[in-house]
Amino acid sequence: MTDSPSDSPHPEAVTGGDTVATEPSPLEGLASDLAAAIGAERWSATNGTVRIDVPRERWTEAVATVRGRLPFFSWLSAVDWSRTVAVGDPAEGTADFEERFEVLCRLSSVTSADAAIIATTLPKDDPVIDSLVTVAGGAEWHEREAAEMFGIEFRGHPNLTKLYLPDSFEGHPLLKSFPLLAREVKPWPGTVDVEDMPSTENREAEAMVEEGEE
Amino acid sequence: MTQLDPRVAMHMSDAAVSVALETPEMTLNIGPQHPSTHGVLRLVAKVDGERVESVEPVIGYMHRGYEKLAEVRTYAQITALVNRIDWVAGFANEIPFIVAVERLVGVEAPARAQWIRLILTEMTRISSHLLFMSSYPLELGAPTPLMYALREREHVMDLIEGMTGGRFHPNFNRVGGVKPAAGGGANTKKVIQDLPAGWLQGTRDAMDKVDAVCDELDDLVTGNELIQARTVGVGVIPAEKAIEFGMSGPNLRASGVGFDLRKHEQVLPYDRFVFDIPTGANGDCFDRFVVRLLEIRQATRIVRQAIDTIPSGPLQAKVPRILKVPAGETYVRAENPKGEMGYYVVSQGDRIPYRVKIRSASFSNLSVLPWLLADALLPDLVAIMGSLDFVLGDVDR
Repeated sequence: MTDSPSDSPHPEAVTGGDTVATEPSPLEGLASDLAAAIGAERWSATNGTVRIDVPRERWTEAVATVRGRLPFFSWLSAVDWSRTVAVGDPAEGTADFEERFEVLCRLSSVTSADAAIIATTLPKDDPVIDSLVTVAGGAEWHEREAAEMFGIEFRGHPNLTKLYLPDSFEGHPLLKSFPLLAREVKPWPGTVDVEDMPSTENREAEAMVEEGEE
Repeated sequence: MTQLDPRVAMHMSDAAVSVALETPEMTLNIGPQHPSTHGVLRLVAKVDGERVESVEPVIGYMHRGYEKLAEVRTYAQITALVNRIDWVAGFANEIPFIVAVERLVGVEAPARAQWIRLILTEMTRISSHLLFMSSYPLELGAPTPLMYALREREHVMDLIEGMTGGRFHPNFNRVGGVKPAAGGGANTKKVIQDLPAGWLQGTRDAMDKVDAVCDELDDLVTGNELIQARTVGVGVIPAEKAIEFGMSGPNLRASGVGFDLRKHEQVLPYDRFVFDIPTGANGDCFDRFVVRLLEIRQATRIVRQAIDTIPSGPLQAKVPRILKVPAGETYVRAENPKGEMGYYVVSQGDRIPYRVKIRSASFSNLSVLPWLLADALLPDLVAIMGSLDFVLGDVDR
């Protein structure tokens, strides 16, 4: 994630027109166009993905504007950036990150490959954002899912009830602080693959698999 | 109209029903265990006589929490998970995930591996659509096409199994390539890794059989008056509604939007092949059926071209044995048989992703149901629902 335009992520991977990225990447053009249209300052176009960051006050307005050009409502979801991690890895080497929710909405075109993720940031202690249901009907289920999984409140949603989980379920499973019960009860038998084996460090140093080479 | 005997009026047009019959509102539970729900979906329908007033789908019976599980697994382990999202298209689910990881790592699969991926994706599309060809007429009350469609689907499934070792859950993709041919074991380096002997010819023969069954289905189903009476003009989805709800795949194309990710995303080398994007004109159940039938023909066309042009070479690019994916985020989507299947992967530079958001086609395709079924007739409910071709594993994830 960068705050400014960056070069194509893997210039060495460009072969015979198979990948999108060329000199002044069309993705970057799209990103800066869209960012200008909604008055956003932060945008990026890395790894083939356009992302535009807007403040949450302008969330619905920004998504509505972008939908004028990219009408297809692909998905909406969130990321929990948290240091309290019950399972999995604490985010490594990124002690400087700010604890927050990111809410992401992906819109795309139905005539070309153009697509963008509109993102915004919510503080952990006030996870409230305006609902997109008035902007695109498809947002309804996606917002219900994000609400139950992350505890984000979508203001103005007509029916913010649980989508997947039983009504009596407590907690928000996709929060990093939510324990994965199966692991609490019984350790993961595949741990050997996840943790470093004593011998793996040598192998990692030597390291490139030659399989498939003649 | 009002002096008609109610028993007569019941068999007249919908307009006559509402005039002649005053019926109390009733709540009807459909599912979760109902053959037409393709898994476990419950519909709470408020009906007034034959007319559906509102429908609330209740999903989550198959929620397995893959997004949470992905946060504690290595990338190689996750490919085994994503197989199971849309289980009739297991192979196609792996492609966007693996390409997302490859994009973050900065490797690309060798050409031969890409061709194999493409052939298997198209064969998955054929098998998924043939399943629809068998189940949809069955839901409309015609059991015969099932026998024809499933017979030929079995050839395709056998070939997928012959190549990957798994009928439904191939788990065949590796970051930077595809799995070496089965049986290599620990000595894979010394074994010549390639397609099973005779596989390409077998596939070519299977494509002829699939084309033949498409002709048969055309005769049996497409021109059938009863099928047409049940489907033409039923469950119409206008293009702008489909776009607003994020409907993708054949459901979107039946509404007249000729958008296919195979033409736009560079996930697999589709730009090397000639094929058409069939679209419908009316967005009704009949169009959704016909578009899928035509897509099978296009898929066999692509597979034949791919068999003719498959390059030789390695199946696997050089990838570190312990794969640490550089920090970054990407969203990669590809055309699954059901529509846009995509993964938003956030990496923190570790062997385990920080977050994986799974965008599945059936979830968005199904979310249109409350809008679509409002004011429909009860006998059309199954016809409309079946025409969307969803799989509950793909909805619930």
